[in-house]
Amino acid sequence: MMPDFDQVGEGQTQQEWQKPPEAPAIMVDHISKWYGQVIGLNDVSLAISGGVTGVLGMNGAGKSTLLKIIVGRLRPSQGQIRLFGTDPFKNPAPYHRLGYVSESEKLYDWMTGLDFVTTLARLHGMTRDEARGRAEHVLNFVGLSDVGNKEIGKYSKGMRQRVKIAHALVNDPDLIVLDEPLQGCDPLARTTIMNVIRELGAMGKTILVTSHILSEIERITEQIVILHNGRLLALGNLHSIRELLDHIPHRILLRTPDPRNLGRTVLPHPSVYGVRFPNPEELIIETNSLSDVHQDLPKLIVESGVEVTAIENPDDNLQSLLGYLIGGRS
Amino acid sequence: MQPTTPPPGPPKRNLSETVWTKLDRKATAIAEFTMRQYRKKRSTWTVGAVGALLVVIVLLFYIDAMSEGIESVDDDGDGLIDEDPSVWTLWEGGPTGPTQADRTLKSVGDVDDDGDCWAQENFRRDQNGDGIDCNVIYEYDRNGNLVNIRADRFVDEDPNDGEFLEEAMHRSFLLGFGKFGFLFILGIFVPLFLATGLIREEMDSGTLHYLVGKPIARAEILMYRLLGFIGLAWPYFIALFVLSALVTGIFGPGDSIYRFSDLGIWFGILIATFLTVLAYAAVFITFGIVAGRYGVLVALLFAVWEFFMMFLAMIGTTRDMGIASMSISFWGSEIINSTAWIIWGDYAMMSGQSLAVDIALWTVWYSPFPTTTPLLNLVISIVVLLLITGLFVLIGQSSFKKRELN
Repeated sequence: MMPDFDQVGEGQTQQEWQKPPEAPAIMVDHISKWYGQVIGLNDVSLAISGGVTGVLGMNGAGKSTLLKIIVGRLRPSQGQIRLFGTDPFKNPAPYHRLGYVSESEKLYDWMTGLDFVTTLARLHGMTRDEARGRAEHVLNFVGLSDVGNKEIGKYSKGMRQRVKIAHALVNDPDLIVLDEPLQGCDPLARTTIMNVIRELGAMGKTILVTSHILSEIERITEQIVILHNGRLLALGNLHSIRELLDHIPHRILLRTPDPRNLGRTVLPHPSVYGVRFPNPEELIIETNSLSDVHQDLPKLIVESGVEVTAIENPDDNLQSLLGYLIGGRS
Repeated sequence: MQPTTPPPGPPKRNLSETVWTKLDRKATAIAEFTMRQYRKKRSTWTVGAVGALLVVIVLLFYIDAMSEGIESVDDDGDGLIDEDPSVWTLWEGGPTGPTQADRTLKSVGDVDDDGDCWAQENFRRDQNGDGIDCNVIYEYDRNGNLVNIRADRFVDEDPNDGEFLEEAMHRSFLLGFGKFGFLFILGIFVPLFLATGLIREEMDSGTLHYLVGKPIARAEILMYRLLGFIGLAWPYFIALFVLSALVTGIFGPGDSIYRFSDLGIWFGILIATFLTVLAYAAVFITFGIVAGRYGVLVALLFAVWEFFMMFLAMIGTTRDMGIASMSISFWGSEIINSTAWIIWGDYAMMSGQSLAVDIALWTVWYSPFPTTTPLLNLVISIVVLLLITGLFVLIGQSSFKKRELN
């Protein structure tokens, strides 16, 4: 056989060269973690690349443990963790592309916000001036530019959370891991932080955020991971999980001066199987299709002509979601 | 309050910037951060103030002792001060220990300053029989220790007890202060209080992940934290040294305004303290990581060991030095000893002058170990201290690398 002097090959050369696929931002491969006899994580596998992902779970479900393993603070007892293809416990290289906001509320209280972010930015190898410029920029991004020169010890809880987020953004990371960033914040701070996270997601960064409050996560992302007792319980789109949830018995609480009149209007609806009046100011609608009722509720309220001051879904929380998911398993 | 435009990426760098310049930046960032952190801690100021107070009090005692002066004693009561240095009678029993063959004799020519030996008849001028009139023979053993003095008659008034004793006290003060005050008390307590927590406290307070979660190896973080400690401790010691050197130089015995001859000794003490503090800091930072919350306890036990080893080195014979050399304080004080031998080569002459002088010098001044050459000892001690530092830094680093941060 003649050698292929022309180097034409058999159809291979026609193919355009493609960049080899990059390793996923987070690759969690059958990870277990136990502390003595207590199991923190039990055979969790995940691969995340791009988008905002919410990690949901009750306290002690293993959210923080998972995040600590992901950022290389803990070493898994079993399994492998790869950040951009590298084990973060052994090699600090992936930290170039990582921003981590821990759940710990401890900060260097004696430093000013600007100092704190600048100092940590310098650990990324920036010069003093570069670091300061970046620090000012990220503080502005999280809305702290006006208090940058105040000591962190004097910050409110929301500001402390935001300065932690700012420090995580200072290296312009591709992957941002946030552990309970909304914990202990007032509503205004919550909204600001959620906006920041959403905006970062829109910038195409991979974001992992934990919470134990379903509605918070819902306002940030649709892609969720649910942890329960150290196990991966569910993984996917929040809406599809919600639809499953839709068809289990649900309560809707309405606050109104005239609950009886409204109850009369609502009761004929096909999805409503009962109404209750816990006190003279409240009405509880019992339904097995939450979305149907919510869809028609505004029309029915207008029909009845009754003023409604509040609508709440007392069952629409993580607890009932978990109860349903666990119940569905067994 | 509202989020604005997204942050742009880090700016482009010059080609001349290498990995090293980046490392450099990280090193200065952590060292600087560590020093600022020290400045904010009350314990730093307390330790610093207590140390400075200690030094000032000791110096005041020194000034007091030196300003009083020491009266010469007329031992034989003939009205002439100091005709009969007690040391001569001490050695009257003749040489003990090594045989004559081991001796080196060193004749010192005419030392009869006041000429009362020369006033004697000819045949009385050379009573030690070395063929030289009115002189002194010093006898040294193999190790260079003075073992005997044989002088012609009346060549004895010149050593002035008072001056010699004052000089001896000054020297013993310098050596003792250097060894105990600086090398031992301050040298061990400053790192004990300030370096043990360098990593430990960050672990306990839950703030370490801010430093560890950056693209730097943990081994480097440990090094740079240590660097930050050194950046605080060394200048602090320099300040105390300058104060001590000024006070002892001005108030010390001597005709000039300032005793420049002591600067070499101070330099030796400074080097010894620097290296000892560095070694202790490496040991304690490692204890903090390895021994967890018991780090301080382990460090204290270690300090007790160091103290006993230093004590042993002081009172022990050459045989005990082997054990004593298992400590950092030993090698630190060895640097001071070697410097003293180099700078104050006339020690042997002095030690023969009177018993009081001998006693003053004896406790703080011993023969060089492991070799008899001071310069070689100096080099060996420095190398050993650096090796100890390196060893403990390595242990600390490898332990830190494996540590999980909860």
